[in-house]
Amino acid sequence: MAPRHVVFELAESADVTRLSDYERAGGYESLRKALAMEPAQVIEELLASGLRGRGGAGFPMGRKASFLPKPDQTPKPIYLAVNADESEPGTFKDREIMLRVPHQVIEGILISSYAIQARAAFVYIRGEYLTEYEVLRTALEEALDRGLVGANILGSGYSVTIVLHRGAGAYICGEETGLLESLEGKRGQPRTKPPFPAIAGLYAAPTLINNVETLATVPRILALGGENYAKLGVENSSGTRVFSLSGNVARPGNYELELGMSLRDLIVGIGGGVPGGRQLKAVIPGGSSTPVLTADELDTRLDFDSMARAGTMLGSGAVIVIDDRCCMVQLALRVAQFYRHESCGKCTPCREGTRWMVEIIRRIEQGAAGQGELDLLLNVCDRILGRCLCPLGDAAAMPVASYVAKFRSEFQRHIDEGGCPFRGTSSLEGVLAPVDEHHARARARIEVPA
Amino acid sequence: MSAPPEQVTITIDDRSVSVPKGTGLVESALQAGIEIPVFCYEPRLGPPLGACRMCLVEIEGLPKLQAACTLSAQDGMVVRTSATSAQAADGQEGVLEFILLNHPLDCPDCDKGGECPLQDLTLRYGPGTSRMVVQKRTFDKPIPISPLIALDRERCILCYRCTRFSEQVAEDGQLVALNRGASSIIATFEDEPYRAHFSGNVIDLCPVGALTSTVYRFRARPWEIQNVPTVCAMCPVGCNVWATTREGKVARVLARNHPEVDGGWLCDKGRFAHDHLRAADRLTEPIRRIRMRGLVAVPWEEALDAADEGLRAAGASVCVAFSGGETVEQADALSRLVRQGLGADVALLPDDPDPALDAFRAPLAAIRSANVCLVVGDEPVLERAPIVDLWLRAARRGGAEVVTVGPAGAIAAPPGSAAAICAALAASSPPEELRELARDLREADRVALVWSGDDDTGGRHLAGLAAALELGEGSGAYFLPRTPNGRGVAQAWRAAGDGRGIDPSGDEALGALIVSGDEALRDTRVVALADRARFVLTTAMFMNEAAGQSHVILPGTGYLERDGTVVNLEGRSQRLRRTVEPPGWDELAFFAQLARRFGVDVDPWTRAGVDELAALPARSGTAPVVAAPAARGPQRAAGAGGDFELVRYRALFSGAAVERVPQLAFQRPAAEVELPGGDASRLHIATGERVVLRSGEVSRELAARVNRRLAPGVARVAEEHADGLADSVRIEKA
Ligand SMILES: Cc1cc2nc3c(=O)[nH]c(=O)nc-3n(C[C@H](O)[C@H](O)[C@H](O)COP(=O)(O)O)c2cc1C
Ligand code: SF4
Ligand code: SF4
Ligand code: FES
Repeated sequence: MAPRHVVFELAESADVTRLSDYERAGGYESLRKALAMEPAQVIEELLASGLRGRGGAGFPMGRKASFLPKPDQTPKPIYLAVNADESEPGTFKDREIMLRVPHQVIEGILISSYAIQARAAFVYIRGEYLTEYEVLRTALEEALDRGLVGANILGSGYSVTIVLHRGAGAYICGEETGLLESLEGKRGQPRTKPPFPAIAGLYAAPTLINNVETLATVPRILALGGENYAKLGVENSSGTRVFSLSGNVARPGNYELELGMSLRDLIVGIGGGVPGGRQLKAVIPGGSSTPVLTADELDTRLDFDSMARAGTMLGSGAVIVIDDRCCMVQLALRVAQFYRHESCGKCTPCREGTRWMVEIIRRIEQGAAGQGELDLLLNVCDRILGRCLCPLGDAAAMPVASYVAKFRSEFQRHIDEGGCPFRGTSSLEGVLAPVDEHHARARARIEVPA
Repeated sequence: MSAPPEQVTITIDDRSVSVPKGTGLVESALQAGIEIPVFCYEPRLGPPLGACRMCLVEIEGLPKLQAACTLSAQDGMVVRTSATSAQAADGQEGVLEFILLNHPLDCPDCDKGGECPLQDLTLRYGPGTSRMVVQKRTFDKPIPISPLIALDRERCILCYRCTRFSEQVAEDGQLVALNRGASSIIATFEDEPYRAHFSGNVIDLCPVGALTSTVYRFRARPWEIQNVPTVCAMCPVGCNVWATTREGKVARVLARNHPEVDGGWLCDKGRFAHDHLRAADRLTEPIRRIRMRGLVAVPWEEALDAADEGLRAAGASVCVAFSGGETVEQADALSRLVRQGLGADVALLPDDPDPALDAFRAPLAAIRSANVCLVVGDEPVLERAPIVDLWLRAARRGGAEVVTVGPAGAIAAPPGSAAAICAALAASSPPEELRELARDLREADRVALVWSGDDDTGGRHLAGLAAALELGEGSGAYFLPRTPNGRGVAQAWRAAGDGRGIDPSGDEALGALIVSGDEALRDTRVVALADRARFVLTTAMFMNEAAGQSHVILPGTGYLERDGTVVNLEGRSQRLRRTVEPPGWDELAFFAQLARRFGVDVDPWTRAGVDELAALPARSGTAPVVAAPAARGPQRAAGAGGDFELVRYRALFSGAAVERVPQLAFQRPAAEVELPGGDASRLHIATGERVVLRSGEVSRELAARVNRRLAPGVARVAEEHADGLADSVRIEKA
C-alpha cells in the first residue's frame, strides 16, 4: 500500500531536522539516485508523477521544467527560484514543511536544479518567517559541510549554489515575476508576460519557479517512482497536498491528504467540524483569493477538477471555515482591504479598483450605500477581473463577487436596514484589517526661484 | 545585409494590414489607420510595461482582453478595438473610469489642459459621468521636485513614464516610486532635488499635468500659443525642437523627435535656457562710445556709419573673433566682409574641426546599434554634447561594450593623450592595456568612435583609427566640437577666401577687432586682442559682457530669433527658424549692409530651404593616413606629493544664457575640484573638504569631490572655477 503521507512521511516517526537523522530516515538517497540519472530522465519522472504546482496555479511541474532551454541552448546561466513567500491569508503549510523537513526542501531544490541544470537556486523566503529561515539556514550549512551543496556535489561533477533571500513583507513578491524583480533588488512589481520566466526570468536568464511544497515533494517522487506517485490521488490531481485548515473549526492545523477527499472529510472528519454547536456557513477552499463555497457544497472534493466545476479553486490549499456568526459583508471588507493594501500599484484596475471596492463595501457595511451600489460593486469587480497585469486584481475581485453572488440577501439587508443585521455580534466585528499604510511622506524642501 | 523581415498579415477591426513580423500591435493598428489608446506605452523607454491597461483589446481565440502594447503582430491574428468590440470598449472605459476616480479634474487651471492625452482619451473612450461618491485621494501639491519641475501627485496616473526615463534612459536613478497600491506616489530619491542633465524630458513624457515646468507654469493656454519647429543651437548636437510662442515671446521649448539626431530627447539647457531672451540686461539698441560722453545709444544708421568708419581706418589690419553660435549665413556675411571687403585674413575660430571624419559620417543614432563604442578625449561627453551620452547609454543597454579612455575613463590615460591612444589602437601591436580593446574594435561589426576634447586635429586622428579599423556603413566616427555651429562657422570662413588665417598671437597693434557674439567676448584671447585694437566692433546680447573695450556695440540676437543654417557635429545642416522677432536688426542684416559698403554683395536673408527633419549628407572624402604622433602612452605614474595635472571642462550649464535663467542656477557646476580616490586618501582629503589649488601666483579655494574614475595625478574642474590656473597645480587642504 502506498503511504498516505508523502511530504511529511519521513518526519512521521522521528525528528528529521538534523542532517544525520534525515539521512538515517533515507534522506538524500533520492539526490544520489537523481545524480546517477540524466537530467532529462529526472524531468521524465516528474512528468510521469503528474505533480502539479502547490503554490496556487497548479501548473504541472515537469512541463514547466521542460520549457526551459538546455544549457547548450542558451548563453545565460539557468536558475531555480524557490517560492517560500507564503502570504496568501489562511496558508501556513510551507512554514511547517520548512520547519519539519528542511533537508527535504533542500534535497528537492538540488534534484530540481540538477534536472534543469541550474547554476544557482534562490530561496525567496517571507521576511516574517524568521524561525523558518534560521532552520533552513542551519540545514543548508549542514548540507554544505557534507558536500551536498556547492561544487561537484557528491562527486557527480554537478555544482549548484543555494542562496537564501529574505523578503521584506509584500504579498505581491509571492507572485513569480514580482518575486524575480524583488530578488534583483528592484521594487516588487510583476512583469508583463511574455517573456515567461522559463525564457527570460531572473536577470533575464531562464528560470524555473516553484513553491516549497512542490519542491519538497520531488525527493519523494524520486524515491517512489513517478508512476507510483501518480497512483495517489485522483485523475489530474495526483499525490497529496498539505491543507492548512483554519477558521471556525475544532482542530485547525496542517493536514496532508491524498487529493480527491471531500471538504466534509477534512472539515468534519479530520477537523472535528464547527465547534460550539454553531452552524457552518461557508468555506473558503483555497486561500482568501478563491471564491467561497456554501454549506451545501461541503461534498465538493479537494482536487483541481472538482474545485473548478464548483466555480472555485484549490489555490494554496488553505481551507478557511466560516460559521454562522460571520457577517459576509465584513468578510468582504476584510478581504478587499487586504488586497487593496497588498496591491503593488503598477496597473490601473487593481490599484484603483481595489481601493474603490473597499470604499463601496465600507459604505454597504455602514449602511450608507444606496441600492445601486451593490451592482456598482459587482461591476467594479467585473472591470477588474481579467484585465490586470497579474492575478492579484482577480484575487480581490473573485472572492468578493462570489460573496455577493452567494450571500446577496445579506448584502441587501445591510442596504435595506441601513446597517449591519448582525448588530455588533459578527465574529469579524472589530477584527478588521489594520490598513494604516506605512507610507513615506515625501517632504518638500526644494526652493523654486521666483 | 540581412534579409528583409518576414511580413505578417493581421486583421484589426475588420481591416487587414500587412506589417513586418515583430511589429507591435499599437503600431500595426496605426498602419491600418486605427488608434489603440495608450498611456504607459512609450517604446523609447524600453520594453512595454503593460501597466496602465488603457490599450486593452479583444483578440480572437483569447478569453480575456489583452494589453495590445505588450503584443506583437502574429500572422492571422484577429484584433478588435473598442470600435468593433463591446468588451474592448468596456475595458477601455473601465480603465479610464478607474484613472479618473482619483484624478482631481482641475483641468481649468492645469498647464496640460488642452494638450492632455488624458483629456483627449477620456473624450474618445471614457465614461460620460462619474459613479464615484466617495472621497478622492489627496496629496500636498504642487511639490517642487527641483527648481525646474513641479509635481502634482493628485493628477499623476502612475504610468511610470517618468521613473522609467530616469532609470532606463538617462540612468540617473533619481525619480522613484514610493509606497504601494493606491498610496503609490512619484518622488525623488531621498527627496533630493532632481538634478540631472535631462530632467525636463519627464515633463514631455507625462501624459497628464502631474509634472509641469516651473518656467512655463501658468504662462499660456494651449489655444493661444504657436509651436514653431526649429532646432536648438545651444550645443553641437542640434536637437530638433518646438519653440512655443505666445504673444511674440518664447514661452517654452519642447523636444521634436528627429530619430537620427536626438531620438526625441532634449537636455535641460536646450529646454529651459530660452528665458535668457527676456533677461533684464538684454541689449536692444546699438551703442557707441563717444568721447567725453561714454557709451551712448544711437540709431542703427549711425552705428552702421561708425562701424564703416572704424573699419575703413583699420585697413587690412582686422581680426574677427567668432563665437561658434552664428548661423552659417551670419558667418558667411562676416567672413566675406572681412576677407573680400577689407582684404584681411585673420580670424579666431572657436572650432576648426578637421573634415577628415566626413569619410566616416553616420547619424548619431548609429551609436545605439554599435557593438563597441570608444570615447577618447579629456572632456565629459555629457557636458559637451549631452545627447551623445544618451546614445552611448542606449548602446550599452543594448549590449555594446562602451569604453572610455582618458583622464576619467575606464582605461586611465593622461590628459591630452587622445591622439596617442588613437594611434596606438590603430597600430598592429598596441600596448598591453589597450590590446583587448583593440581586438574588440577590430572584431566588431559596428563601431562608434567619439572624440570629446578641444583639439581640432582630433577628427584627423580619429579618422586615422577609423581607417585602420576599416569602418564601413553602420559604423560612425564623431568629433564633438566645442560650440554649436563651430563647424558651420569654420566652413563659412574658409569658403569666403583662400588665404590662411594668420596667427593673431603677436603683439603688434591691430587696426580693428570684430567680436561676434557673447561667447567670443568671454574668450580671454579676445580680451587680450581687444587691448591691442584701435577699433572694436562688438555684437552681443548682454550689456555687462559687452562694455569694456568696445567702440560700437550692436545688440545681438539669440538663436530663437534667427533664420539660418547650423551644421551639427554629424555634419548635418539644419534650418533655424525665427520663432520670435529680435529687438532690432539681426546680425545678418547689419553685416550684409556693412559688406555692401565695402563692395561685397551679401544676401541679407537666408536662402536655405526648410527641411522639417534634415537629412545627413553622404560620406565624402577619403580616409587620411595619419602618422602616429610621438606622444605619451596610456599609463602614467601617480601624482607625486600634491601635484596634479589639471583637466578643465566646459560645463553644459554655463555661459551667458544659462546665467540669466534663475531656475537653472542649481544645475550650474558647483565650485568643486574632482580628485582621484587614491590621491585623495593619500592626501587625507575627503569629499566636501575645502582645498586650495595653486599654480604660480594664482590660487583658488574649492570644495573637494572624490571621483574614483579619475586617473591618478589628474584633477578636474569646471572651466568657470579654474580661472587663471595653469595646467599643473598643487593641491592642499585649505
Ligand atoms: C498575487 C500572487 C501571490 C502569490 N503568492 C505566492 C506565494 O506566496 N507562494 C507561492 O508559492 N506561490 C505564490 N503565487 C503563485 C506563484 O506566482 C507561482 O505560480 C508559483 O510560485 C509557482 O510554483 P508552483 O508551480 O510550484 O506552484 C502567487 C501568485 C500571485 C498571483
Ligand atoms: S494586478 Fe495589482 S498587484 Fe498585480 S500588477 Fe496590477 S497593481 Fe500590481
Ligand atoms: S508623474 Fe506623470 S509620467 Fe510620472 S507616473 Fe505620474 S502620470 Fe506618469
Ligand atoms: S499602454 Fe498598454 S498597458 Fe499602458
